[in-house]
Amino acid sequence: MDYALKATGISKSYGAPDSRVEVLRNLNFHAASNEIVSFVGPSGCGKSTLFNIITGLLQPDSGQILVGDEETTGTTSEKIGYVLQKDLLFPWRTVIENVILGLELRGVNRREAREKAHDLLVRYRMQGYENVLPSQLSGGMRQRVALMRTMITDPEIILMDESYKALDYPLKIALEGELLETIKREKKTAIFITHDIEEAVTLSDRVYVMKARPGEIVDEIRIDLETDSPLIPERRISPQYNKYYELIWRKIGLPSVSV
Amino acid sequence: MVGLQVAIVVAFFAYWEIGTRTGYISKFLFASPSSILEVLVRRFESGQLFNDVYTTVKETTIGFIVGAIGGSILGLALWYSRFVFHLAAPFITAIGSIPVLAIAPITIIWFGTEVLSKIVIVAFSCVVVSLTTSYRGAQRTDPDLINLMRSFNATRTQIFFKLVIPASMPWVFSGLKLNVGFALIGAIVAEYISSDAGVGNMILLGSSNFGMNIVLAGVVLVMLIMLTLTFIVSLIERAVLSWEKE
Repeated sequence: MDYALKATGISKSYGAPDSRVEVLRNLNFHAASNEIVSFVGPSGCGKSTLFNIITGLLQPDSGQILVGDEETTGTTSEKIGYVLQKDLLFPWRTVIENVILGLELRGVNRREAREKAHDLLVRYRMQGYENVLPSQLSGGMRQRVALMRTMITDPEIILMDESYKALDYPLKIALEGELLETIKREKKTAIFITHDIEEAVTLSDRVYVMKARPGEIVDEIRIDLETDSPLIPERRISPQYNKYYELIWRKIGLPSVSV
Repeated sequence: MVGLQVAIVVAFFAYWEIGTRTGYISKFLFASPSSILEVLVRRFESGQLFNDVYTTVKETTIGFIVGAIGGSILGLALWYSRFVFHLAAPFITAIGSIPVLAIAPITIIWFGTEVLSKIVIVAFSCVVVSLTTSYRGAQRTDPDLINLMRSFNATRTQIFFKLVIPASMPWVFSGLKLNVGFALIGAIVAEYISSDAGVGNMILLGSSNFGMNIVLAGVVLVMLIMLTLTFIVSLIERAVLSWEKE
């Protein structure tokens, strides 16, 4: 099988030796090329730790991460781009300057970078906003700029952390649809880390279900909504949707809530 | 509101002027608005006013550039090494707790009675405030933004120049604005200790001859210099921080 990313035996604890808190225990997972994989779990399952380990910002206590054939454990790889819940745009940079950040840091010629950014702006229907500051944009547009900033560096794997949590529902649905389309069209691999079961089921090909304290993978579920539509509402009303939703809900093992 | 404020000012000066003319307020102790104005006009015509203001503004500005801007650059640079900052912190606090008045006489001995010693005193008055505010600004750079830079494989130098410096600018400028006042205090104090020109010199000579109108004319000039310099710094701030939301 052709793996875009493969992780084996990832464990991580925090704290002093006498009061260690185990955050992640022996995680084994992978993402095949062009696959969309989600991690879903309750709070405390170590989502942000896992995120930082995959990006290489954090070194796991044990385990190994391979991106393609290359071991990247503890180092940031150019093949991974990430999109966070916060858009993290630099407020002093215009839209186009934010988009080209990654290329600029790699020393790409400025004119070339701007041309590439311009094409992206057209594709994401944001032409005319080149020289606008982020503070003048709506939340949805800011997220779109953040996505372009990731896409311009042409990563093979896109890692997203609770990406659109902060946005209102219709906007979230619209941006998720856009994202799904982009990932499919550009043949990217995507990894979502979320607590939102709905997001996981509608977007993913496969879901890793996690439990908390310590974060462990309890199951792996292949999703087939029997539709090719990238439209989130279409996927959401698939007859299969509820089955997966319920299955994951039970696996997470949340206590039943009595009203 | 503004009308009321103007009325208060007018009433204050009218009371003062009338009081001194009728002998109700001592002209010897308080001078009078008209005599202060007279000093300003006379000195303006003789060119002495320009000379004094120019001297004080020059000392303040050069000292400010060396102390406040130099301090800001140092403070930002300390972001590179938390170790160096923690090593230097007690020394910075110690230097910062020396009142400028206490070292001014030594400065005259070390750097002479000319303009250099004044610049040293002014720079000394601002350096610590700028250094600490800009360091704090640099430290407060959003760690998520730093991680974002790291995810793009940015070097520490790239993170410093492309992220930390612009992100710290609001703090740098709040330090600079505070320091306009400290710089001017430094310049006046330096002129009190030894000088042959400057607004501090004018105030000192005035008070030693009981020329209250000269002293108060000097105070007016200090106020005007302060307002002008603050205004200039605010203009620069507005240009540099145009991205900041109101």
